[in-house]
This record gives sequence, structure tokens and C-alpha cells, in this order.
Amino acid sequence: MEPVIEGLGLAFSLNNIALVMMGVLIGVVVGALPGLSSPLAIALLLPFTITLEPVSAICMMAALYCAGTFGGSITAILINAPGAPPAVATAFDGFPMAQKGEAGRALGIAAFSSVIGGLLSLVVFIVATPLLAKVAVSFRPQEYFALTVFALSMLASISGRSSLRNLIAGGIGVFIATIGTHLSTGIERFTFDIPELTEGIEFVPVLIGLFAVSEMLQQSQAADKVLERIKSVVVKLPSRADLRLILPTILRSSGIGTFIGILPAEGSTVAAIMGYNEAKRWSKRKHLFGTGIPEGIAGPEAANNAATGGAMVPTLALGIPGSGTTALILAALITHGFRPGPYLIQETPHFVYAIFGAMAVANIAFLAIGLLGAKVFARITLIPRTFLWPMVFGFSMIGAYSLSASFFDVWVMLVAGIVGFIMRRHGFGAAPLVMGLILGKMLEETLSQSMVLMDHQWWHMFHSPIVCLFFGLAVLSLGWPAVSAWRTNRKAKA
Amino acid sequence: MTLFALFFYLSTTFEEVSALFDGGVTPEFFPRLLLWVIGVLALLLPFEHAWRVARSGGSGDSGLEEDRKGMVKPIAYITMVVALVIVGLAEHLGTYLTLIVACCVLPALWGERRWLLMAAFGLGFPTAVMLLFTQVFKIYFQPGIFGLSFH
Repeated sequence: MEPVIEGLGLAFSLNNIALVMMGVLIGVVVGALPGLSSPLAIALLLPFTITLEPVSAICMMAALYCAGTFGGSITAILINAPGAPPAVATAFDGFPMAQKGEAGRALGIAAFSSVIGGLLSLVVFIVATPLLAKVAVSFRPQEYFALTVFALSMLASISGRSSLRNLIAGGIGVFIATIGTHLSTGIERFTFDIPELTEGIEFVPVLIGLFAVSEMLQQSQAADKVLERIKSVVVKLPSRADLRLILPTILRSSGIGTFIGILPAEGSTVAAIMGYNEAKRWSKRKHLFGTGIPEGIAGPEAANNAATGGAMVPTLALGIPGSGTTALILAALITHGFRPGPYLIQETPHFVYAIFGAMAVANIAFLAIGLLGAKVFARITLIPRTFLWPMVFGFSMIGAYSLSASFFDVWVMLVAGIVGFIMRRHGFGAAPLVMGLILGKMLEETLSQSMVLMDHQWWHMFHSPIVCLFFGLAVLSLGWPAVSAWRTNRKAKA
Repeated sequence: MTLFALFFYLSTTFEEVSALFDGGVTPEFFPRLLLWVIGVLALLLPFEHAWRVARSGGSGDSGLEEDRKGMVKPIAYITMVVALVIVGLAEHLGTYLTLIVACCVLPALWGERRWLLMAAFGLGFPTAVMLLFTQVFKIYFQPGIFGLSFH
């Protein structure tokens, strides 16, 4: 009971609530701005949280994560420009409803569904995280290796056009993690005699470059694009009739979203699309989907926000990110000197409860903010891009520099940004690369330890049922995109 | 595949270590394993493309070229070069002046012509950021050639 009180005490301290509220505000703003996203905001925020208490820093980021997911739906509904990828499915019915003059109703349904989805997933988070951590404590290096392979294999099925490109990007991320001094022998690898590379490449400048600088280069091509001016809108909470319509959808989508979130690598975007599809599949009025019906908004909104709580489960319990954004939160934990995984829960159990409290506050806060301030936040889209992106670039430079007061890190950020831009152009996403980068060290360490423990007879790994389970799941997740495409094709032909 | 070959070659240039110290896991073992995996996946890319085209029902569109539709606009390359120059100058100009340069040059480059607004932004934003990070976060920034510092 003591960790619960300590954790919630931390979460509800004045200082922490102020930081969480700041996280929510930043989250809703960046979520609402097309091009800016919560991973980008967390990457930019990370260097500046170094001076904060670790728990407060992580709570602020967790709040930003929740609020950013919701923020994207404001512009998706009002101007059909999803501020963030998880809000894409919200626009399918949200925008048509707004066009019918019911923008306030659509925003109210989105806010309400998001909050319920988020809160329900937090219940799963608080119950499942310690349990999963308890199981994971008994994992040996070979089991951890298999788990990491499984997490990377999930990149095949995250959103994006090509499973192969996702896997290659993940592989490149892992490869970047090998740069620097080899831990067990002290031999330098791929350092090109650059002294700053001997300790490896810092996560943070790479993350800032991949998310912020590459996006700036992308946006430079649309600097003159002006978004539609938002009409005045009063947000309304769902009526009783609406509640009756959306409650089953919210409950179903919350379950789907939480489950998708718990799966390594899968994030809110996949959850939202599945939430929308399932809402349609279970609906008696399928034909009305896409015309602006409440279930079409509630389905994706409940699912995408439920995925945020779910994604925190493997991140904290196993040290395996549940989504692209939690990969950044994991990087923040490492930067703050924590070793994410079951020992984090064992040694600092109050940590989980503090994050739980912060995320609960964030969910309630963005309901209030969503209801009262949607009109204001929607107007943020009117900030000229010609000023917005230079600001992002300025923050990126300061952020990369301030981590270790080194211009080398600023160069790393810029190179990562340019590489990220080229990769995106060729269909390789930033999120898989980040996942690989963060999991790379763990993958190599656990493989080396397993090899030593098993006297280099790697096939002994398969004596462990847990290893077999994870490798089996990895094979399934690698094969799933092909099977799914084949099934879709067959259905289309039939 | 070129990168695969280059990095594979580089992995052969690592210093050698006695078997006593490496525990049987040599420094090049993991990067090479990884390069093989990436190499094999890269070799599969053309097949993925062909498979998708075959599934497209005669449209010939693999759906993989969506991100590459249309040329990259020259402004993206110019922004890239300007960003490189700005970062290159940062060590000499110092952080504050570099931020001012970035906040004046980038909006102008992207077509902004409201000069008064640009001047206010070019001076106001860097000053606010520097004050915040030097005074609140206590981060030390290079003063640069003109010795402009907020410490």
C-alpha cells in the first residue's frame, strides 16, 4: 500500500499537477497542429526535462502522450486535417458530422470517448504492469533476447505501407546502436576515429532529428499552405441518446485499443483504425458509416486513447516500447538513469502509481480543456508555418545542444533529420528506426550473455518454453501481413 | 547493398582481441549478423514490389510509391543546405546569434515577407528561448565571437 500512497502523492503534488497540465496543454496544441505530433513534442521536450525530478519528467511526457492523441481529433473533425496519425480514422465520420453543422457534438463525442477509453486502459495498466513485471523478473537473457526479437518482428505489422521497409528501418536502428565501444572487449566499432562516437550515438539528438528536422524539411515544401479558418463552435457533451448509441462502441474499442497498445510496437494509429473497423462491423447501420454518425467517432477515439495506457504496460514492465511514442518515453527513462523493465517496478514501485495518477489527471484535464478550449486550440492551425517550423528548428538545436553542451550532438541531430527525410521519401518510417535504436543495445547484450551462458550452443535456447513462445509469436507477426494481404485479396476476388 | 558491403568491410577492420577476453562473442559478430539480416531483407524488396503489383488487379500500382509521388521541391534541398550552414556557423557565432540567424533566414526563405513581424520574431523568439534556458534550466551556451551571453 505504501508505494501506492507514495506514487499517488507524487502524482498529485502541486508541482507535478502543474507539469502534467503543461504536458496536456503542449499535447493538445501539438496534436492539433498538422505535422507536429506527440513523438516530436516528446523528443523536443526530453532534453529540457533533464533538470526535473525523473518522476515528474516522465509524468509530464505521459500526459503529453495522452493529450496529443486527443488533440489530433480537433482539427480532424473541424477541418478534415488530422493533426496526428491516430486521428485519421476520426475524420471519417467527424468531419461529415461537422459539415452538417454539428461540430460541437462531434467534438464532445470525441472528448468523452477518448477519456473513457483512456481511463479504462489505465485500469488495465495499473493491474497488468506489476503482474507482467513479476513474471518478467524470472526471465533469463535468452528469454529477453527472444522477447526483443518478438518486439522487433512486430514492426512488420505496424502502420506503414511496407512491412519489409519497417523491418529494414528497425534493423538500421539496431545497427546504429552498435556504433561505439563494444562493451565486453572495449574495441571501437564504426567510430571513424571520432572521439565523440566512442561512447555511441546519443538517443536524443537522433530522435529530435528524425521527428522534428525531417518533418521541417517535409513541411518546407508546403510552407504556403493555409489551413481553413475555424468557425465558432461550442462543444457539447454527448446527449443521453448519443450515449446509448456510443457506449457499447466505446467499451469494445477501449478493449481493442488497450490490447493493441500492450502489443510491442503497435500504437494508437493501428488501434484507431481497428476501433473504427470494429465499430462498423458490429453496427446495425453499417451503411451510415462515413456520413457522420456518433459510433464512427467514438470507435477510433476510444481505441486510440486506450492504446496509450496499454502501451505503457510493456514499456514499464519489460522495457519494451508499446508504441513509437512510448519508445521516446523509454529513451527518457534511460536518459534519466533508469533501467526500464521488471527491476524498475521492483525497486521503485511508486513510479508506476505516479504515472498512473498523472495519466488519470491528464485524461480528465483534456476533457475539460477539450470542452472549454477546442475553439481556441483549433485556431492554433492559423499560426503561419513560416514561423512555426523555424521555431521547431530553434528548439531542436537548443535541445540537441543542451543535453551535453556539445555541438557534435547538433550535427548528429541534423544528419539524422536529413537521413530521416530521405528515408521517409522512400517509405522507411522514423518510428521503426527509433524502436530499433532503443532496443539495439538490449538485443546485443542479451544475445551475447545467452551465448556465453549456453556455451555458444544457441539451439539450447529452445529448451525454454518462453523462448519458444516468443519466437513463435515473432514468426506469426512476420507472416501475418502476408497472410492478411492474401485473405483480403481472396475476399476481393470472391 | 552498397552500405551492406561498406559496413561489412569496415567490420573486418576492427582490432583483433584475444579469445580469452571476448568470451567467444567477438565485436564484429553482432554487427555482421545484423548486416546479413538487413541485406537479405533488402534483397527481398524487389519481390515485394512485384508481388504487390501482381495483387493490384491490373492497375500496376504497388502502393509503395505513394511517398515518392512528385519530385522533392527545391526548397527542401535549399532548407537542408541553409540548416547545414546555420549549424556550421553555430560554433563561431554562438547560440544566441545562430538562433537569430535561423529565425530570420528560414521564414524569409519560405516566402514570408511581413518584415516587421519577421523582425519581431527573429529577435523575440531567440531572446525568450535563451532567457528561459539560461535562467530557468541553467544551461550554458557558447557566447560566440561577439560574446553575447545570458549568464
